[in-house]
Amino acid sequence: MNKSKTKIFLVDDHPLVREWLTNLIHQQPDFVVCGESEDAPHALQEISATKPDVAILDISLKHGSGIELIKNLKASQPGVAIIVLSMHDERLYAERALRAGARGYIMKRETAKKVITAIRQVLEGKIYMSESLAAIFAEKFVDGRLLASGSLVEQLSDRELETFQLLGKGYETRQVAEMMNVSMKTVQAHCAHIKEKLKLTNAAELLREAVRWQENYPTN
Amino acid sequence: MALFLNLLAVTALCLPLRETMLRFVKQLEHRSRAAFVTAALLIVAAIGAVDYLTGYEMSFSVFYLLGVALAVWFVGKWFGALVSVLSVGVWLIGDFASGARFSSPLIPIWNALVLLTFYLVVVWLLANLRSLYRSLEIQVRQRTRALTEEIAERERLERELLEISEREQRRIGQDLHDSLCQHLTGATLAGQVLEEKLAALNLPVAADAGKIVELVEEGIDLSRKLAKGLYPVEMTADGLMLALEEYAATTSDLFKVACRFECDSPVLIHDPATAGHLYRIAQEAVGNAIKHGKARNIFIRLDASEEATALSVKDDGVGLPEPLPKNRGIGLRIMAHRSAMFGGIFNARREESGGTLVTCELHAEPGSKKTPP
Repeated sequence: MNKSKTKIFLVDDHPLVREWLTNLIHQQPDFVVCGESEDAPHALQEISATKPDVAILDISLKHGSGIELIKNLKASQPGVAIIVLSMHDERLYAERALRAGARGYIMKRETAKKVITAIRQVLEGKIYMSESLAAIFAEKFVDGRLLASGSLVEQLSDRELETFQLLGKGYETRQVAEMMNVSMKTVQAHCAHIKEKLKLTNAAELLREAVRWQENYPTN
Repeated sequence: MALFLNLLAVTALCLPLRETMLRFVKQLEHRSRAAFVTAALLIVAAIGAVDYLTGYEMSFSVFYLLGVALAVWFVGKWFGALVSVLSVGVWLIGDFASGARFSSPLIPIWNALVLLTFYLVVVWLLANLRSLYRSLEIQVRQRTRALTEEIAERERLERELLEISEREQRRIGQDLHDSLCQHLTGATLAGQVLEEKLAALNLPVAADAGKIVELVEEGIDLSRKLAKGLYPVEMTADGLMLALEEYAATTSDLFKVACRFECDSPVLIHDPATAGHLYRIAQEAVGNAIKHGKARNIFIRLDASEEATALSVKDDGVGLPEPLPKNRGIGLRIMAHRSAMFGGIFNARREESGGTLVTCELHAEPGSKKTPP
């Protein structure tokens, strides 16, 4: 009989959340929780064993990071739809989670009402996110900032790209200047150009974008 | 009265003279003992020669004290006594050589003994004065050292206190975020389950359960905000940039001012405590700009150059009042104190163009060339 039910796997380091999330999911006649875990390594193992349709996971786990887990799951279990359920601010983490391969992002504040909707939406092949997050993404899209991934980075000059890559690897402006054998002023000028070309509003965003670029297109 | 005033004037005039003397004596004390032994003997010989040349009618006995004093102060009291005896001898020989004649042979002996006693009393007084002076000096040095140590200790404690309060705040904030919020999430889920069960039974109280879920959700929001206030800067190197960005945005919304965060190239602060202090300084400065400065536009900047990392908060308000009223000084002093805690240079001034500029500069650590994570 379980065959016809949608299998859901829970990864969260808080037992109370897992327990009641299970109860809530079991309120739905066609859903079943097939397993739960509180850390990333165990979750990865269990998910390959139980083959769920949906995995709901938190970003901060007992061992390992949720974002890494998403990437690993994406690689090993591409059939599992992932929904992130997190206490962390969606404005800071949702984009990273979605780019890593998640299909939905729910803030824990709105879990109770939204989690079932999110599961159903994701099962239909759609992406789930809150309205306010969708509005932020829409604004970014209109500004052209969401396209920063490929085409816009190609517009960077060689020196700008080098700066961008070094920042993405975690070097500080001071170190980048040293490694490229130029002054800090020059690096700052490169940064200003990069921000302009990639349509980024500030340095924090520049750094996030650089790190993300480095994650997706690692260079040595 | 007039005499007293005169005396006072003379004393006042003498004070700088005394200072110069003391400094001169102090400098002399670094010379070697052999030099002073030679100097004392030479003085006695020279005065003896003058004494002889000027004849026995004119007494030079008091000038020998120069040699005696030099001997006592810089060499020791026994050498002082020796120089006294020597001086009396030279004086006596000088008088005889220049033709002094006495009615009784006992008279020169008597005179010599009187003079010797006088010299020895001076030697004794000077020796005592010197040892008093030395012990006083040692005491002053000990006190100074104790005071320096106490100041250092106090500074360390102050820093510790500030760090403890930051750490405690962060811990409470993290607990709120990680434990309480998660617990409340569990509660909303339980409430939701209850609501759905009640709704399945077609009971109208299901709406009440829904209301409880909403209330608890508001509780989650409240505790997240509290946690954010207690623990504004995430413990990552880019935490300060993110926190200031968010702070500028919230401030603009809350106070209807234009508060902008500007940062040309990424500025990473690896020490979470420093990042926390910088954040609190920015917070205080922005608060002042709104509350006291009535500013409309506020710019928070984070800059990095080869030598330093600098935080600045600039506004277009009324500027710092001069002189500062007492109650305003406290906030500035706390900012200055905070920045001193991590070795920053703090400055707050009225801008020529109007408004206030608060800066905190942190010189780049030589060891900051870390390999990236």
